[in-house]
Amino acid sequence: MNSKIKTLLFWLALVAVFVWLYQSSRGGAARAVPFRAFEAGVKLGTVRSVEVDGNRIRFQADGPNRFETFGSLSPELWDELARREIEPTFSSSKGNDSLIYYLVIGIVLIVALVYFLRRVGSVGAGNILALGKSRAKLVEESKITFADVGGCHEAKEQFGDVIDFLRAPKRWTSAGVRLPRGVLLEGPPGSGKTHLARAVAGETGAKFYVVAASEFVELFVGVGASRVRDMFETAAKNAPAVIFIDEVDAIGRRRGSGLGGSHDEREQTLNQLLVCLDGFQQNARVVVIAATNRPDILDKALLRPGRFDRRIRMPALSRADRVEILGIHTRRKPLDPDVSLDEVAGWTEGYHGADLESAANEAGLLAVRRSRQQESEPAIRRDDFHQALRPRAEQNRLFDRLDAVLIESTSQLAEPTGRAVVRLVLRDQSTLEGDVVWADATYIKLRTRDDDAGILVPKLQVVRLEAVSGTEAVSRDDVVGDQWAGRLADLA
Amino acid sequence: MDGNAFLERLIFFIPVLLSLTVHEWAHAWTAWKLGDDTARLMGRLSLNPLVHMDPIGTFLLPLMGVPFGWAKPVPVNPLRFHREVSLRGGMMLVAVAGPISNVCIALVSWLVLFVMVRTVPVDDLPELESVLQLLVILVAINFGLAMFNMIPIPPLDGSKIVDALVPDRARPAWNRFCELGPVLLIALILLPQLTGFSPLSDAINAVMHLVLSTLRHAR
Repeated sequence: MNSKIKTLLFWLALVAVFVWLYQSSRGGAARAVPFRAFEAGVKLGTVRSVEVDGNRIRFQADGPNRFETFGSLSPELWDELARREIEPTFSSSKGNDSLIYYLVIGIVLIVALVYFLRRVGSVGAGNILALGKSRAKLVEESKITFADVGGCHEAKEQFGDVIDFLRAPKRWTSAGVRLPRGVLLEGPPGSGKTHLARAVAGETGAKFYVVAASEFVELFVGVGASRVRDMFETAAKNAPAVIFIDEVDAIGRRRGSGLGGSHDEREQTLNQLLVCLDGFQQNARVVVIAATNRPDILDKALLRPGRFDRRIRMPALSRADRVEILGIHTRRKPLDPDVSLDEVAGWTEGYHGADLESAANEAGLLAVRRSRQQESEPAIRRDDFHQALRPRAEQNRLFDRLDAVLIESTSQLAEPTGRAVVRLVLRDQSTLEGDVVWADATYIKLRTRDDDAGILVPKLQVVRLEAVSGTEAVSRDDVVGDQWAGRLADLA
Repeated sequence: MDGNAFLERLIFFIPVLLSLTVHEWAHAWTAWKLGDDTARLMGRLSLNPLVHMDPIGTFLLPLMGVPFGWAKPVPVNPLRFHREVSLRGGMMLVAVAGPISNVCIALVSWLVLFVMVRTVPVDDLPELESVLQLLVILVAINFGLAMFNMIPIPPLDGSKIVDALVPDRARPAWNRFCELGPVLLIALILLPQLTGFSPLSDAINAVMHLVLSTLRHAR
């Protein structure tokens, strides 16, 4: 609606401009009249002033109007004008600026022609030139600092040098030491590698470029290498900068291990990365941080001194670390006094940063949901954390147990193609008994005695599962002609 | 170049801008009605001239006095047409919508002119001179745009209509011709400048003659 009004106003404005322009052009422009009229005007004495421009004659008669005609002043007219003391003025509007004007027009035309041909030619083809540009995204002014990173004290300490180098490179260059340039962060998924790298940039106020290693790889050979070059060049231009290469194992995989060895493109990209790490200017304040959760498959050359020689492992979180991280993630959340973060940390043995963040967020969601029902201020209670942490643990445990029983019951079948009969106790305490038709990660399909089509039971609903068809319990007669027989053995 | 010539160009430029806008909008609207919302999602389904203009093709060239220009082409994805619309037929409809919209503007402007000349007293006509002039220019420009765009040389709209009609047998030849399109088009534009032979402006003059004579007889 708003844009429609804008459009309408735009049109009205254009029309108004047109009217105004037209009026003003009429006002200033001379009206064309026949030469005869000019002659008559001169003879009658109504002509006040005359301006000659080539064979164009502009003149002013009585009144405000200006007129224009074409012709040349004959001797009689000259005499006539002289008699009335009118001195014709001469001008040439053509001569003095036409050359430059046509030159400018010519240049503009050529530029426009090239532009036009490029445009028409490139429809659908995309822009080939942009392919080699780095896709690295600049994250403006990272606001995260080490205060936002809980735990990983060793990692932070090891980053101390890097940060100092980015802040005050003088000290390091004057001491004649090789500068820390590449840092490899290793750690399981969700352990905060990206977060830590961001904090490094935030601590130093450096530009922070994020790129996923897989973004280097493209259909065309050579693109990856040129993207690496481009990325390093932009970073060096905007130094101090931190380049963060996520999932570096996508290109940093040990060379020569591909099937058939045909994947040259990845190796080429890796080679370029190695060269750039080695070779970019010694005093450029650029630090490359790479992250991977598969350090074991990385190429040795990536890890040699001078490249990613500083390897920082994201450690497992101690209880104190977890308390700290939970503290960070609940900083802006209202906590009920009955919450003890230390206790929550005790429940979350083996959790990583991302898990803790998710748990804190989940608890917050629950608290808000409850406060909406009770129409009170939201506050996260102990129960909320309990609830938030429970489903995942419980679900994992339950699924593991179900699968164990299923596998066991099938493996114990006397006849490998026999039916596996199980009894399930569901959450509402009802029991189901039937043949297992199939089972996957989340569902079990059962054929019960009274429902031949079979029913689908979500594993989440199952509280207990017992195998009925043990070793001897399977009757051979039942098995004959059962089209589903043996299915379970396949999936177990 | 004196100021007056530039002023004249500016005066011509405004109706051109409005006409090109409607032209591009018509493409986008037709595509949308046929089921393709590509242009709509890109914000091209709008009568705002700013959306469609191209800095060089719409501003620089016409204002420098080059009798040629272009707006940003409206993207069309025929695969998104409704099921009952064939790809070729749909593309043809979308292509033809632009020139048709120009013909419509020309006809409407002419009709308004006609009604104005008939109803407004003679003494008041000079007051309305600028509006009359705008309408006359609109008739001429839109007729010219429609004619010009129906020339079957890529990337003009006429070529897209031919494209939909070309039999498979002739397609290779047509594709070769299409590659030459931009160059041919430039040659076509330069032709009247160099030789003075200009069928298009002759046609426009003829139409304007017709329009003006109907106006003369309107009284």
